[in-house]
Parts: sequence; structure tokens; C-alpha cells
Amino acid sequence: MSNSDFKGASVAAIAATVTSAIAEAADAKTVDKLIAGIKDKDEQVRTDAWLGAGQVGAPAVKPLAKVMTDNDLEVARAAKRGLWKLVRHSGRPEAGAERKAVEAELVGLLGDGQPVSVRREVLWMLSEVGSGRSVDAIAALLSNNQLREDARMTLQRIPNKKALAALNQALDTAPDDFKLNIAQSLRQRGVKVKGLACVKLVPTKKTSVEPVK
Amino acid sequence: MAASRWRLIARQKGDRTMKQSKQISRREFLATAAAGTAAIGVPYLIPARVLAGPAKTGASERLTMAHIGVGGMGGFHLRDMKRFQDNGTVNIAAVCDIDEKRLAGAVKTAGAGVDAYRDYRYILERKDIDAVVIATPDHWHAVQMVHAAECGKHVYVEKPACCTIEEGKAMVAAAKKYKVSVQVGSQGRSQPEAYLAHRYLVNGNIGRIQKVACFHYNSPIDDNPVPDGDPPPELDWDMWLGPLRWRPYNKRYCHGTFRWIMESGGGQIRDRGAHVMSCAMWWMGADGTAPVTVEATGTPPTKGLWDSAVTLDVTYTFRNPDWVLTWNQHTGNAVPAEERTGQEPGGKISRPDYGAVYYGDNGKFVHWGGDGGTWVEKKAREWKPPAGAKDVYESPGHKEDWFNGIKTGAKTIMNIEAAVGVANLCNLGNLSYILGRKLQWDQAGQEIVGDMQARRMMARPQRHPYHL
Repeated sequence: MSNSDFKGASVAAIAATVTSAIAEAADAKTVDKLIAGIKDKDEQVRTDAWLGAGQVGAPAVKPLAKVMTDNDLEVARAAKRGLWKLVRHSGRPEAGAERKAVEAELVGLLGDGQPVSVRREVLWMLSEVGSGRSVDAIAALLSNNQLREDARMTLQRIPNKKALAALNQALDTAPDDFKLNIAQSLRQRGVKVKGLACVKLVPTKKTSVEPVK
Repeated sequence: MAASRWRLIARQKGDRTMKQSKQISRREFLATAAAGTAAIGVPYLIPARVLAGPAKTGASERLTMAHIGVGGMGGFHLRDMKRFQDNGTVNIAAVCDIDEKRLAGAVKTAGAGVDAYRDYRYILERKDIDAVVIATPDHWHAVQMVHAAECGKHVYVEKPACCTIEEGKAMVAAAKKYKVSVQVGSQGRSQPEAYLAHRYLVNGNIGRIQKVACFHYNSPIDDNPVPDGDPPPELDWDMWLGPLRWRPYNKRYCHGTFRWIMESGGGQIRDRGAHVMSCAMWWMGADGTAPVTVEATGTPPTKGLWDSAVTLDVTYTFRNPDWVLTWNQHTGNAVPAEERTGQEPGGKISRPDYGAVYYGDNGKFVHWGGDGGTWVEKKAREWKPPAGAKDVYESPGHKEDWFNGIKTGAKTIMNIEAAVGVANLCNLGNLSYILGRKLQWDQAGQEIVGDMQARRMMARPQRHPYHL
């Protein structure tokens, strides 16, 4: 590389860094504006804000998730609806890169540091836009008693071999009281499961109401 | 002889005539309608019949009936079924509900000796029960209908048939595999004035129909939102949720209000749309067909638990033949109802604020309602068919039509294939709305094309063990 080439590359790198910084600043400003709208006292302002969340994209995922547990019921609800709007916007056919960015942010919300209610919602979002990149994080939740059923259903819905492999593996490792659930998902995915009879038609709930004599 | 039994026999005689007659295809219907001419003097046929096999019931036997879900419409069905018990058509053997208070009330309504269950699967285990009426929230329809079919029971299931595309496919497959008669509760097709409208339109009185525009008022907003809490002791919340993913109880979910939750009810388009669009598909001869594109826009509620669209506009584009169906849900967009004396076949118009306008190249035609109340314009009611005019199938009543299906194997007027087609319209409309984009539908493959996220949403994983 010549000296002039080096200078040229440095200028390009600096320009890219500056552009990225400007973009991040713009993102941060847009996200702040979105969150302010979501937290507004006026229900129409909140609604307009969450309806626009799709345009903000991946940078808004974690800030919205944080507001999903706000003490104000309607603010929390607006944040949840905003995150769903964002996920559905990112899943449009021509938006592959956007979907991947959103998926990565969602996976980051599956950890123990997040409330169960948020993680449950995020699992279902990943059931719509998740790919092989999400599978390990989702499969890890199959051993979480509060989230395993949602994680199972999420893996069932992700149409790739990695998700199917995770379900197959879980059939071996799941506790007995969860094996039937895994078997259900595998059957839905077209796998023949032996030795675990389906119990869907077995009644279990008794009533105390007596017939009239 | 009881009147309803007489109608069954009359229908069977009519069926023999129709078997020998030429079936008029949808394409022929539209072509004839376009020409505005009356045609050969043969009845318009109901579609090919399914032969009842193992589940067939003898024509002279009383049907042993059970009711699953006895609140709301379920309560209506139970009271209505007593009419058929009184005339010797059925015996009511069991009632079921996941709300003990509702169940206790239903046991009293049903009368002495009728068994009570919380879990519908006890009913399905009973070999003496021929048929079930399912009137639970929408998210249970497919699972319970398929389970009932797997146990050899005939089914009357409330509309809309299903919540997802894949549920609908499973329902059609189960009815076919287990040879059971299924009637879906879009009872508008069985109303007296629906017959008159169908006959009027099929004879080309407004020419070739290019557009059917459904009108309806807004879905409500949850004006009293409350935090999640504990379910009341009489309610089995786990069983109410059934196939849905688990979430804490909130009293704004039920009863009745499930209608305004997208996952369990889907708003007006799935409630009334399943009626008014059922009439449209029937009268247009469009059962078995579907739009090639579906595009929806709407406005969401600004607060509360309910999330179905408050206003909603959906455009369904059909091809070959070309026509457009629209669903426009806006308070204030109703067509003013005709003045009536109450002596008309359907009586006075009690629900004038929803219906549809049919636009043909020789005029337009309006109907109001579309459910148990279906009213049509005077010009259709008073139209006298000229010699050689086409006739269409006249239902003896929605339940009577089902009983006939059970006893003879004849296809019901709102059979499961037709009902799933209508439910798909509702579901695709909602799906386009929540995704915010136009959807492409492939009817031959029964699938959405070109949109991976939408394709995943053709099915919804179900909670164990409440699954298809």
C-alpha cells in the first residue's frame, strides 16, 4: 500500500466512522422520540407512536422491551404493541437485513436478566422471524420451567433443520413431564415418535355440577 | 308428522330430482347472470355429497346430542335443540362448559338426566352420543371439531370455523376421513330471504356481478381495562385458554369479550364477516374458490386489552372470473334499511347496520344482516320467477339441514369446506392488517406465497395437550 493509498483508506475509514456515528446519533434521537411517544399520557399519541415503531427498527427493540414492564398498564401495552409492530415490519419479504438485525436484538432479550413476561413475548416474536441463529438461545429455555412450553412452540414454528434437531435432542433430555409436549411438536413437524402415546383425547378435568334428577 | 321431519323428507325427494339434473357451475352461473337471461328449468344443485360411512345414523332414529360450550350462542343452541327434542328428532344427553356457573344453569335448562361435564373429552368418549354442538370461543373450534370427528361424532360448530389456515385444512381432512357431517353456524344461508336473494341473483337480475361490498360498524374499544388477576373460582382458566399460549387471567378476556381479542375472536370481520361473506360466497357460486390477493388497512384501539381492528378495510381480488369483495368496517357507513311491515319472510330488520351491496352491470342489490337475521331488498322478495328460471337450494333450516346431512350423507349448506373458505377470508384479512402488507394467496396450494413470515402465521403452535 502506498502512502497515498493509506491516506485514502484512512479518510474512507474516518468517513465511515463519522457516518456511522451520525447514523447512531440519529437512531438514538429517533428511538428517544419513539419512547417518549410510547410513554405519553395521551392514548392517541401513544398509539401513533407504536404504530410508527416499525420504521425505527432494530435500535428500538431493547428500549421498547424495557418499557413493556412499565408500571402504567397502558404505557406497557403500547410498548408491547410497538415491539410487535416492529417485528412484523421487519419480516416483510424485501427486508432480510432488517429482519436479521431485529432477530439479533430479540435473542439478546432471552437471557435471565429479563422478566419472564418479556421473554415469553420475545419467544413468540422469534417464532415469526427467528432463524437458525436464534435456535440455541431458544433451545436453552426448554429447561426453564416457566418458559419451556413457549420455547417448544417457538422451535416448532421455525421451519429449519436446526430447530427440528433441537426438538429431537430435547426429547432425550427433557424431564418425563415434558416429553409428551416435545413429542407433540415433533409430530407436528412430521416426525414419527414411538413410545409416547398422544394424550390429547384423554379427559382429565372433573366437574362438581350434578345432573338434575 | 312433525313439520321438521316433513321438511327432511321433502328435501330427500328434492335431492333425488337434483341428482338427475344438470349441475350449474360457478362459471356458468356468472355467464348466465351476465346475459341476464333465465335458463333451463332445473334446480340449482348443491355440491356433490359425502357418503356417510361408519358415523351414519339411521333415518328413523333419534340423534343423541351433546352441547360443548353453553354460554352465549351455546345457550341459544341448547334452548333451540330442546325444540328438536320435543319433536322427536334428538335426545339431549350431555352439556359441557369450563365455567361451573354456566354449566349449572345449562343442566337446569337441559332437564332431568342430562349429564354435566367440564372436559369435553368425556363426551367424546361416550359411545352413545352421535353428535355434538360446539359453541366455544373461536380458538377452540378447530381442535374440538377435529377431536369430535376422530371420535366419530357429527358436528355443528359455531362460526368462524377456524383461526388459522392450517386449522382449516385439518378440519376439512378430519370430516372427510371420519365421514362425519359438519355444519358450521353461518346460518344466514338457511334463512328464508337468503333463498330469495340467491334465486334473484342467480337469474341475472342485476347482470354480471363485479363487486360485493360488505358494510359493518366498528369493533369496540376496551373502555374498562383492568390489570391481570386471579380467575374466578368457577372458571377453569387453563381449559378456557386451551390451545392458546398461556397468559395470566384478565377479566376482559371473557366471557363474550373474547370476540375482540385477535387470537381468540378476531373482531367484527371474523364475527359478522363470517356471516355476510358466507352469503356472498354462496350467492356468487364462489365456494371452493378464493381471492388471489388480500389487502387490508385499519385502525387499532388506542387503549385496553382488546386488540382487534376498530375500523378495517379489506379488498379481496378474485380472478377468472374477475370480481372484488370488500369488507368495510366503519360506523356510519350502513345502507339505510327498507321500511317493512314485519309480515315479510324474515320479519322486520333488526340489524340494519351491517350487510352487503352487490354491484352488477345491470343494477345493484342490498341485503342486511347475514346471520339468523338475513333481510333482502323488496325487489328480490317480490320477484316472480318466469318459466324456465333457475331454482336454487332452499334450506329447511340450519339445524334441519344438518340433521339431513347426518341421516342421508348429503352435504350441508354450510359444510366444512365452504366454511373454511369463508374463515380464510376473515383470517387473511386480519393477517394482512397486522402485517401491514398485501398478501398473495395460492388456492391450489392452499397457501400464502412470497412472504415467509405470513406463511409461518398460517399455523399457530398449540399448547399441550389441547392440540389438533
